[in-house]
Parts: sequence; C-alpha cells; structure tokens
Amino acid sequence: MLGEFEQLVLLAILRVEDDAYGVTIRHAIVEESRRDVSLAAVYKTLTRLEEKGFVIARVGEPTPERGGRRKRYYALSAPGKRALRQSIDVVRRMARGLGLGLEPS
Amino acid sequence: MKGVFVPPRGALWLLRHLLPVTEREVFIGDLLEEGQIVRGRTGARAARRWFWHQSLVALLMLRRRRVISPTCQPAGDPRMLTFLGDLRHGLRLLRRAPAFTMLSVLTLALGIGATTAIFSVANPVLFEPLPYPHPERLVIVGERDADGTMTNLGFLTYRDFVRESRTIERGAAMGSWQVTLDDHGAPEVVAGQRVSASFFSVLGVHPAFGRDFNVDEDAPSTNSVVMLSHGLWQRRYGSDSSVVGHTISINGVPYVVAGVLPASYESVVAPGAEIWRVLGYDASLPYACRTCRHLRMIARMRPGVTPASAAIELSALSSRLVREYPKEYPAAGAIVQSLGDATTSTARPVLWAVLGASALVLLIATANVANLQLARAMRREEEFAIRAALGAGRARLTAQLLAEGLLLALAGGAAGLLVARLTLAILVARLPQTMPRLSAIGLDRTALLVGASITLLLGVAIGLVPAMRDGRGELGSTLRGGRRLTGGRRHLARAGLVVAEVALALMLLVGAGLLSRSLVRLMSVNTGFDANHLLTLQTQATGPKYADNNAVYLNHERVLAALRQLPGVRRAATVSQLPLGGNLDAYGVNAEDKPLANPELAPYADRYAVSPDYLGAMGIAVLRGRAFSEADNSDRAPLVVVVSAGLASRIWPGEDAIGKRVHIGGPNPPWRTVVGVVADVHQRALDASESSQFYVPERQWQFADNVVAVVVRTQSDPTALTRAARAAVQGVDPSQPVTAVATMEQVVATSTAQRRLALMLFGAFASLALVLAVAGIYGVLAGAVAERTREIGVRSALGATPGAILRMIMVQGMRLAVAGLAIGLVGALSLGRFLQSLLYGIDAADPLTLGGVALLLAGVALAACVLPAFRALGVDPITALRSD
Repeated sequence: MLGEFEQLVLLAILRVEDDAYGVTIRHAIVEESRRDVSLAAVYKTLTRLEEKGFVIARVGEPTPERGGRRKRYYALSAPGKRALRQSIDVVRRMARGLGLGLEPS
Repeated sequence: MKGVFVPPRGALWLLRHLLPVTEREVFIGDLLEEGQIVRGRTGARAARRWFWHQSLVALLMLRRRRVISPTCQPAGDPRMLTFLGDLRHGLRLLRRAPAFTMLSVLTLALGIGATTAIFSVANPVLFEPLPYPHPERLVIVGERDADGTMTNLGFLTYRDFVRESRTIERGAAMGSWQVTLDDHGAPEVVAGQRVSASFFSVLGVHPAFGRDFNVDEDAPSTNSVVMLSHGLWQRRYGSDSSVVGHTISINGVPYVVAGVLPASYESVVAPGAEIWRVLGYDASLPYACRTCRHLRMIARMRPGVTPASAAIELSALSSRLVREYPKEYPAAGAIVQSLGDATTSTARPVLWAVLGASALVLLIATANVANLQLARAMRREEEFAIRAALGAGRARLTAQLLAEGLLLALAGGAAGLLVARLTLAILVARLPQTMPRLSAIGLDRTALLVGASITLLLGVAIGLVPAMRDGRGELGSTLRGGRRLTGGRRHLARAGLVVAEVALALMLLVGAGLLSRSLVRLMSVNTGFDANHLLTLQTQATGPKYADNNAVYLNHERVLAALRQLPGVRRAATVSQLPLGGNLDAYGVNAEDKPLANPELAPYADRYAVSPDYLGAMGIAVLRGRAFSEADNSDRAPLVVVVSAGLASRIWPGEDAIGKRVHIGGPNPPWRTVVGVVADVHQRALDASESSQFYVPERQWQFADNVVAVVVRTQSDPTALTRAARAAVQGVDPSQPVTAVATMEQVVATSTAQRRLALMLFGAFASLALVLAVAGIYGVLAGAVAERTREIGVRSALGATPGAILRMIMVQGMRLAVAGLAIGLVGALSLGRFLQSLLYGIDAADPLTLGGVALLLAGVALAACVLPAFRALGVDPITALRSD
C-alpha cells in the first residue's frame, strides 16, 4: 500500500512521461493538487520509491539554466506500476457506493 | 520581468556543503532551474526568498540519508575532503568532551583576547606610522639647554630657524591654548593650540570644509581666527556648516571660524586639542622674545633630509645666534627629533612591557591547552592504535590531531574576540589621558589580523604537540593491553610544558611584584604637602570683564570667601598651578649677590602665584622665615618671595636665603626679597629627583592668572564637599566654568596613572598565569597518579608506608615546580631590564621580590601537589592489581 504522497509522485511521473525530473514532477503535483510542495519533499519520496524499486532513475544531460548541472530522470518500474494500480484500486473500492461522487466516470 | 536569477550565495554554499553527495548536483540544478521560473513570476526578491526557503527545508529533510549511488562522484580535492572529514570528526570528539573543550577554549580565549587587546593599544604607538602624509619628514625642533636636554623656544628663535634653514621645508610654532566657549550653550572649557598659519600645511592636512589659515592672519591684530575639530563642530555646533565663515564667542571675544578639520584628523602633537587659533606673533610683542621659551616647533624637512642632518644645520644656526645674543641663550645647539619619537617615546617602555606580559600569558595559555591535549591523547592511545592498525599512517593521525587543534584554536579565537572587545573597553576607559595616540586605539584590521594569525599559529602548535610519538613500535603493545608502557615521550613533553608554565608565571609575578613595590615606594614619597582632606578644583576668570587684573583678583577673593562659608571647610586658597597637576610653569631665578655673565644659566624654578593662605592650606612646612599674610596684598607692601629649600641651596649653598634679593622672569623684572624658605614639593612627578619652587603673592606678580586651581582644606572626607564647593564657586560667576574637581589624593594618584595601568595589567596577567600554572601542575600530577595506580598498588603491597608514597608523588610534582622556578628566575633576571624604566627606588633584580615571589609560587605548587598525592594514598592494592 502506497502513501498518499507516493501516489501523487508516481502519478506525476506518469503524467509528464518522458520529461519526469524534479522540477516537472513538482509542477505536476502543484498544478493538480493546488498545494505548495517543497522540492525536498519530492526528492525524499523519490528516494524512498527508488529504494523500494518502484521507480528507476537515469542521469540526464546538463543544461545552462541549471548552472551546468545534470538532471535525474525518473520512470516507473513494472513493480511501481503494479503498486500504483493496486493502491488506487483500494481507494476506489473503498469509496464505491458512498454517494460521494467518487465512482469512476 | 526580465533578468537572470541570481541564487543567494549563502544558501548555495550551505546546499553544496551539507546536502548528501547523491542529491547535491541534481537538487541544486532543479532549484536553479525553478528559481528562474519563480523570478519571472514574482520578481527577484521573492525568488531569492523562495530559494532560501526551499534550501532550508531541503537541509532539514535530506541531510541524513546516505545512499551510495553510482551515478554521482563527490566533487573536489580528495585531500581537502579528508581534511573536512577530519574537522567534522574533531568536532564530534570535542563535543563529546565538553569539560575539556570548555576549559581549552576559555584558556585560549583569555590568552588570545588579552594579547589582541593589548596589541591594539600598543599598535599606534609602537608600530603604526603617524596619520599624516610622509610622516618620516615631520620633526619637532627645540633648543639645547645647558644640561643637554631639549627645551621649548622663543618666537624670534623659531622665526630665525624657519627663515634661514635649508633642510626645513616648512615650520610652524605651537603654544597651548585653553579656552572657554561661551555661546551656543553652557560655557565649556576646551583644550586647543595656538599655531602658526602654516601648521596644517606642515602636517599635510586640509580642512574638511572651509579654508586653511591665511599667512596674513598670522599677525597680532588679525589673529582672531580659529579652526574646529570635527568632534567639537558636531558636539557644540550641531554639525551646522553655516558656522564656517561666521563668528563664535570664545572667552567673551568673537572669533571667525575658518574651517572644520576632517573627522580623521588626529591631534598627535597635542592630544585632546579640539580648537586651533592662529598664533599671530610678531617681534614687537613682549612675549615674543628669545628668552620667552614657551613655544614648540614642528617642521617638515625637505625630502631626503634626516633629523640628524637637520640638527647639524640648525645647531650651526644656533651657534651663530648665541654669538649674536650671548645673554639670551643658555647654550648653543638645536635638537631635532622625529615627530614619532617625540610624541610616543615616553609611552613606549610601558607598552613594550605590557605587550611582553600579554605574550607571556599567551604562551602559558598555549602550554596549558597543549598539555590538556597531551593528556587527552594519552587516554586515546587505544583509538589511535586501532586506527593505525586499520591502515591510518602517521600523517593521517597527525592530520586528525591538527584538525582538532585548529578547531580548538578557532573557537578560542572567536571567543577571544569577545574577550578583546571587553578588555579594550575597560582599558581605554582607564588609560591616562596623556597617553599618546589615544584616539587611534581600536580593534582595527591590523589587530584582527594579528589575532587571527595568533589563532592559526596556536592551532598548529596545539595540534602538533600531542602528535609527537614514540614511533609506531608502541602501537602493537597498546593493543595487546600494555598500556603502562606507552606515552613516555608525552610524559616528558607534559612535564616540559609544566616547567615552562611555572617559569613564565614566575616572570610575570616578579614583574607584578616589582611594579607594586615601586608604586608603594612612590606613594610614600614625601610630596612636601599634606594631600589628606584636601579638595581641589579649577576655576577661571576670562573674558572682557576680567581684562583688568584687579577684577581677576576680586573674583578669586570672592571664590575663597564663598568656600570659607561652607560648613566643613577649614581653609581655602588659590594657586596658579597645582603640584602634580600636569602644568609646567617655570622661570629663571637670578640672585642679586650671585650675578651670572649669562642670565639664561640661572636655575629654573616652578612659579606659584598664590593667595596669602596657600602655604598654610596646602600644609607646606615653613622651614625658615615666614609665609605670606594679607599684609603682602596691600598696594604699598614690598615685593616678597618665598623659595623652596631646594632652590635656596642651589643658589645659596651654605648661606641663609632670608633677606636676599632676586630677579624673576620678565624683560625688566623688579627685585623681590626672600622672606621665607619652605619644604620642596613635587611639581612634575613623584619620581622627579630635583625640583625648585618659588611662591609670590598673586597681586605682586606681573600679570593675573586667569585660570587658577583652588585648594580647600576640609575637616573630614573632602569628597563629601564636592557638590557644595562646586556650587559655591559657580555661584560667584555663573559664566565661568568650574572644572577638574578632585581630591588632592586623586591628583597625586593620577600623576602615577601610567604605572598604575602597568601594575593593573601585570597583576591581572600574573594572577591568570598563576592559576594556569597551578592547574598545569595539578593536571600532570593527577594524570600521573592515575597512570601509576598499579605501581602504587604494588609498592604498598610490598610494604611501602603511606609516608613514602606521599613523598614520592610530592617529589615528582615539586621537581617540576623547582625546575620551573629556577628557569623563571633566570628569565626574570634577564628580562628585568625591560621593566627598569617603570621601576622606582627598586632594582629589577631585587632579591626580596624575587625570593618572595618564588616562595609564593612554590607554596601554591605544593598545594597543587597535595590533592593528587593523597589520592595516591587512597589506592587500594587489591583493586589496583586487579584493574588490568
């Protein structure tokens, strides 16, 4: 079972697809969740997900606006995708029939 | 909003140094990239704030994780990283030993702080050049007196020197000037100078605004022009620049303000001066004569000229003048001193001595901390052995100890800065006002640089001392449990350090002892007057309403009458200068029956123009003849004078001075008859050997003294009368300020301020040194007893009596103390001559002081040995033998 923030991070990675690194992941979460999330919180969660084997990191290219520093891209591993699906399924099943407008459309 | 996002450097630095290496690069990259976006949206300031926020959150959240990731390599020089690691390791170790760390840091802080503070006091006088352009070309010029000393010169001599010298580019004459400012607020007495119009251009100083003096103002009728110091202008004239070019009232007379000096101007030739007036002499004035030696001369030499060559030229000039005016010079010759020497040479010995003392304290503090480090190193043998066994080379272990030493020193240096600040504040408040370059003292860049260098040096020393080892052979034995055999050389080093501490402490104590005995002797010098129950103050009668001499005398009489009405006042009198009050007002005395071919060779005596009761009020003993009475004040009274015993015996050795007639001062002085001989008093200083005085009734002197001291003999504690006396005098004429209210005992004490300061510092340093040295002895001995527990156990098991064990430990401790005392005595004897000029009536090798101090130190050392020795007695043989 994933934590709520872990779910958000994994979903964000899926959303930005090939361009998933710190800045874009945080942006995706901030935009959809409308709450201010610190970059450090994203990093901490990414590290934990990486340790669990749910995400795979890959070092990217350096760019000038980063002061010549490299990016680290993330993608979901197969276990990551499975864990995410299970986790969301649980939420969905728990919400079913409660009349909260939470059923899938 | 356009522009590039500039990340806050501090945040960036923190991230770079504190984030785990795995996250560092990508995280900072992300933050920078995003910072640019934030800046575009909300502006540069908000973006920087955002960056800080994100960084701090990251430092809190991401610090602890240490995941070894193949994707990132630590950046930077590996040696530097190792050293940073050493520092971090050292920090952890020091934190784990808080008592040791606190003690070391405190000791170092006291040493570094004291030295830095003393250095900043001494620096302007001892090392810094004077704050003028090309200060090496500035000199003070004076005449050579018959005894070879330097004297002031008269205006005409100054004029001839400046006119005819080739070695001098420009010169200026200076006289002192004390004035009362009486508009723009309450009357205020301000110290100043009367100077030639060329004075500021000689120094190379330009007014901050306004103009310099004009040459044509330097004449008797046009000289009501003044220059203000920046401080005075701010304080009294509210930084109002419109005061320049307008008149202010001084002693009731209007003066034009020519300009205001820059805030950076430092009055080196006249400390405390705040106002300058054009001298305005010419040859027609009666006080411009060659024998009117009340002016000092400052000059700027031409480039390439040395004071010695200027002296040769001016001496030749002086010889010519002496041939021309044989009766107006006591001797031929000129003395030329560099301005630096002339202004600072009196303060140098005391500053060198005090600086030396603080250096000794620093050495002791270093020895003490090194000692603590050694003791700690011995307890850490096992740690070192394990690290060595794991492959740490000697260099690595040394680097570790060095890092710890540097950490300690840095902490000590930082705390030392606080100590220096505090010490300096206390010191500056207590420095004698006559101290040269007082206003240049401060914790400036030089002082901080010196403090920082000392800190680094100490760090290295403290780190390297415990790194001394017996080589690697011992490591194995340490691990095998043979702890007893280790650290032999360190024991030796610790013993050596303790010996050095005792020696240094002894030297400081001897210095303090010599100074305090000098001061005791000095204070028991017979001053010639009775300073008990004597209140003094200064009053004046200046301005147009006191242009007439009689008005001044009347003012003095009213002041005395007002004081005599106060309950508790027994007698009161006025005098033109107070003994030991810092004035130097002397005249040549020519006796009728001892005519001199050159009247300038007549003995000089301090002049006291007094109200009739002065001698009685001061308690100056009348040895022969009589003191003055009211009758001497009457218009028809014959001119009389009272001389001191010293003056009488210089002029009339073996004869009775009463009834003789003398000429004193002035171009055509009247004859005065000696009616009394009184005891000598000390005018210049308590340690001045020769002094001569004469006293005249003030109404019989050529001019009235506008500024006089008042002495009040009281029934009981004179300080109780301070307020009433001040009010009484002020009540006579509210427009005249009352200043310098003090008991005569305070005046006497102030005259020894330089010695008192030296004594206070030596005393403080010596006490500190004593404590540190005793702590050193105790520490070494306590450590030795702990290490020898097993041996002591064996000894007592084999039948050693408690007395024998006690003796064994005490002898070990006292051996160190005695060695230190011996070395310290040699050091004290060889360094004593540096103190000689501060001593009075006592030799630097005074056996009583040396012996007494050595005994004191030995006694204290003995006490420090007792506790560890008794702990050795308490060793139980059974437990001691089982302990390993």
